[in-house]
Amino acid sequence: MRMGTQSRFGGKLPCVQFLATAALGVVFLILSSSQAANALPAFARKYGLRCSACHESWPMLNYFGQKFKDNGYQLMNDRDAPIWQNASYWPITLRITPFWSRESVNKVAVDNTATGEAKMTTTGFNLGGLDILTGGTLEKNITFLLVPSSDENGAFHFESANVRFDNLFHSPWLNVKMGKFELDSFISEKRSLTLSASGGGYQLFHFIPVGDGNIFGQVGDNQLGAEWMGHSYNDRTRLSAAVFSSTDGSPDVPYGQNSYTAFFAGSQAFGAGKLGVQRIGGYAMFGVAPTTYLTSDGVPIPGSGIGNKSFSRIGFEGLFYLGPKLDVQVFTQHGSDNAWFGACYGDIISGTCDPANNNTNGATLPTGTRNPTWNGAFVETHYVWNPQFTIFQRSEWVRMSQQAIPGTPSNLGDIDNYVFGYRYNPFMTSRAGFAFHNEYSWIRQRGTSPVTGTDLSTNSVMLGFDFDF
Amino acid sequence: MRVSKPCIAVLVATLCPALMFGGTISGKVTYTGTPVKQKPIDMGKEPSCAKQHATPITTETVVTGANNVLENVVVYISAGADDTTVPSQAVTFTQKGCQYIPHVVVLHTGQELQVVNADQTSHNIHPMPTVNREWNKSQPPGSPNLSEKFDQPEFIKVKCNIHPWMAGRFAVLKTSHYSITGDSGGFSLPNLPPGKYTITAWHEDYGTQTQDVTITGNETKSIDFSFKAKAY
Amino acid sequence: MNKHMQFRMGFLYLALAALCAFPVAAQDAPDVGPHPPQPMKPMESHIGKVTGHAKDAKMNYRRYCAGCHGDQGDGNGENAVWLDPKPRDFTMATFKCRSTVTGTLPTDEDLFDTIGRGLTNSNMPIWNTFSDQQRADFVAYIKTFSPRWEKEKAGDPIKIPAEPPVTIESISHGKALFTKLECWKCHGPQGKGDGPSAATLTDSKDQPIRPYNFAGGGDDSRLKCGSTNSEVYKIFITGVDGTPMPSFADVIQPNDAWDLVHFLRTLQVTRHSKENDVLKAAGGKIPAYVEKQSEAPASQSENKAAGGGN
Repeated sequence: MRMGTQSRFGGKLPCVQFLATAALGVVFLILSSSQAANALPAFARKYGLRCSACHESWPMLNYFGQKFKDNGYQLMNDRDAPIWQNASYWPITLRITPFWSRESVNKVAVDNTATGEAKMTTTGFNLGGLDILTGGTLEKNITFLLVPSSDENGAFHFESANVRFDNLFHSPWLNVKMGKFELDSFISEKRSLTLSASGGGYQLFHFIPVGDGNIFGQVGDNQLGAEWMGHSYNDRTRLSAAVFSSTDGSPDVPYGQNSYTAFFAGSQAFGAGKLGVQRIGGYAMFGVAPTTYLTSDGVPIPGSGIGNKSFSRIGFEGLFYLGPKLDVQVFTQHGSDNAWFGACYGDIISGTCDPANNNTNGATLPTGTRNPTWNGAFVETHYVWNPQFTIFQRSEWVRMSQQAIPGTPSNLGDIDNYVFGYRYNPFMTSRAGFAFHNEYSWIRQRGTSPVTGTDLSTNSVMLGFDFDF
Repeated sequence: MRVSKPCIAVLVATLCPALMFGGTISGKVTYTGTPVKQKPIDMGKEPSCAKQHATPITTETVVTGANNVLENVVVYISAGADDTTVPSQAVTFTQKGCQYIPHVVVLHTGQELQVVNADQTSHNIHPMPTVNREWNKSQPPGSPNLSEKFDQPEFIKVKCNIHPWMAGRFAVLKTSHYSITGDSGGFSLPNLPPGKYTITAWHEDYGTQTQDVTITGNETKSIDFSFKAKAY
Repeated sequence: MNKHMQFRMGFLYLALAALCAFPVAAQDAPDVGPHPPQPMKPMESHIGKVTGHAKDAKMNYRRYCAGCHGDQGDGNGENAVWLDPKPRDFTMATFKCRSTVTGTLPTDEDLFDTIGRGLTNSNMPIWNTFSDQQRADFVAYIKTFSPRWEKEKAGDPIKIPAEPPVTIESISHGKALFTKLECWKCHGPQGKGDGPSAATLTDSKDQPIRPYNFAGGGDDSRLKCGSTNSEVYKIFITGVDGTPMPSFADVIQPNDAWDLVHFLRTLQVTRHSKENDVLKAAGGKIPAYVEKQSEAPASQSENKAAGGGN
């Protein structure tokens, strides 16, 4: 998600390039260390807390950070309202990630080989997109979040834009938010410690079966809607319910006329003595998306979608601490799409499916088409050696349990993804976030190479600086 | 007749030095230079105190007498006379007219301090020690005396938060051999057995000075201290 | 085979990167400061059945506390200069919220509660996110910063008698006491923290400090050391050590103290409380207190304060 087009280097002298990067990195590191004291991440500056007070390892939240967020970015002391802040305080944070990477794909479509496929390895300097994060209180218990986000070429969109009314009737159980927001999950892809091209995102947050026409179903994308969220005073219990347009976060309602999705999440934390506080929970998403569109000159008209078909995603979430240094995140999913999506009815607006697959009167499903279903899980481990140095890994597996079209190889679209790396924060203050990031990831999807339909695998090596201020 | 052991101990401790030894160290404390002028205190916010002073009193950080005499200096034996006997008599510290009387109170470690409120207003007694324990007690008019002790030797600033001009000192010493200078600037440390002593003079603003004195017998040694005044 | 090669390449890169990064990692930037004092004292805390161990809080102290309280616990973390009031200096072992008499060390429970409660009107957050064990570990860790914890025992907890019913007489007597004990000199006649001495107040580190403004908050307003009536009772019996707020333990009788609590609640004008309900039922005005027996006359000064109050 954070990666984009890659400049093409020869790929023959990675060692020299690597050393050059490392040398540059050291210089940068020293410069940054001496200047960082003037940089001010919005909330840390507002409250004078170190990054580590809210982040297990920036940007992943710890329990305290989660509670702060659940309170509407408030500590719930008497200083939350902006009137308490220095007049020059401006709640803004910029985040960007310059890096060097090596991306290797085992099969790309080429004209030069007999199979029509060849391995391609590319190295080069690159840039992650820019996030501008502004958020906080407009007044005690009225909070906002606005995240204009640009890709690395400068094309902007609004990643998040919402306003929230917190603690209605003095109750932490009544918080209402509207706008574009991240679905409530204490395991957040937006706060993931992994950044590389093939390991940065959580596969389960975006998984759609091969050939599936569902425009939605992605729990990882920010959505446009409204949410109720409630939690106990100490945040041990968290509950939320949200309803949003089945547009996968796109503005202007480009798909269905009346297509909505609901998302529910709940979790419970409990103290486990020396191990720390554990949290377990679950989520469920049920929604409908259109399969039938009006057309004009054969072109489907955005927003005209009817013929809603259903889909669901349910799963378990857990965040387990094994003492002050080690934590394990577990996330599972059972997903199911309606057979019509499985037969690639649905997204003919943006061209995922053949425009002929329009579920108009008389359209019939191919014989034997079933609901595609799948199961998946990931386990992510963080070893916080000290608050400034974190080693992480994630292993993720997605397995199709039922293919929509009979005769499809049962493992088509199955994903294996492994990531590991470390993140080093050379300093730790309440003024700036800065991490040296080094990561390796490998991902394989069964049967999806472009020509031969064999396994497609990609690996990434990433070496960069992730900073915000 | 039975006499308790502590009783005899006290008797011996008080009588013996006086009978047997007669060494005395005495002298005078003066200053050089120009001390900062003390400021008059406006007690307008506390009329019951203001009316007790015909003319406004001044701060007492540096109190001087004629001939460059420096008052409120505690002169004591800081080494040579280990003195673990705690005087049984309490020392009184009075709040009157929103002033501390005396301005500097000298106490032995463990000696009882009686705090008296003779005013028609509430005071809070707030010693600000760093070695001893800090406490802070309210004493409204008419309430009984407070009885307190300090365990460790220390010069402690004491204040009343309600009347911010009130400032005093508790000089908690490990010895009973001390003298505090009055308007003559003189001090005298009598009844010293022969030995080598370190004499320390402490002033709340000017700090401490020490001199070593050896007493050989029934003699009077004269030493003087001179502090350099701070101009600010 | 191909895949394995790629894996190996990946490892190679990672190993190289690690080699280059670690020499930098080895030298801490100045911001990090010295690490907590070593060797760690084997300090313990006891909260109910939980025994806290100082060594187990070392890492979490650095994560959550040191930014303000400092690695050495002296209140000089890198954020301290920006904060008002200043973070607690644990080396002094003077604590505001205690159940023990003024000048004594707080109990382990007192510190445990303070961590979980946070301190209102300050930057100290509500740290109720930890497990009880973790919080107990913090308490033990805090106790390593002053040798006092080895030499002295915690003071005896004060006794809080049962609260008498709230009556308008109780509130009225509380108001008379508020005047007599001269609470208003700092807290102001209406409890707004604007008494004649308010502007001059400093804490034990000579930092300016404001008296509590009772009228400041609504229903969710907390007092420094808790929000229940018995916690208000506790505050003026124990005093708030390190601040100008003295202990009234020697000068107020238990029933009188409860009357004062009831009156203080009426100063929180926008807060829903039984005291405000009683006051409202009595017409919204606190009647002048009528002396019953041999108590020292307080009516003179009472009138003085009543002029400003209502």
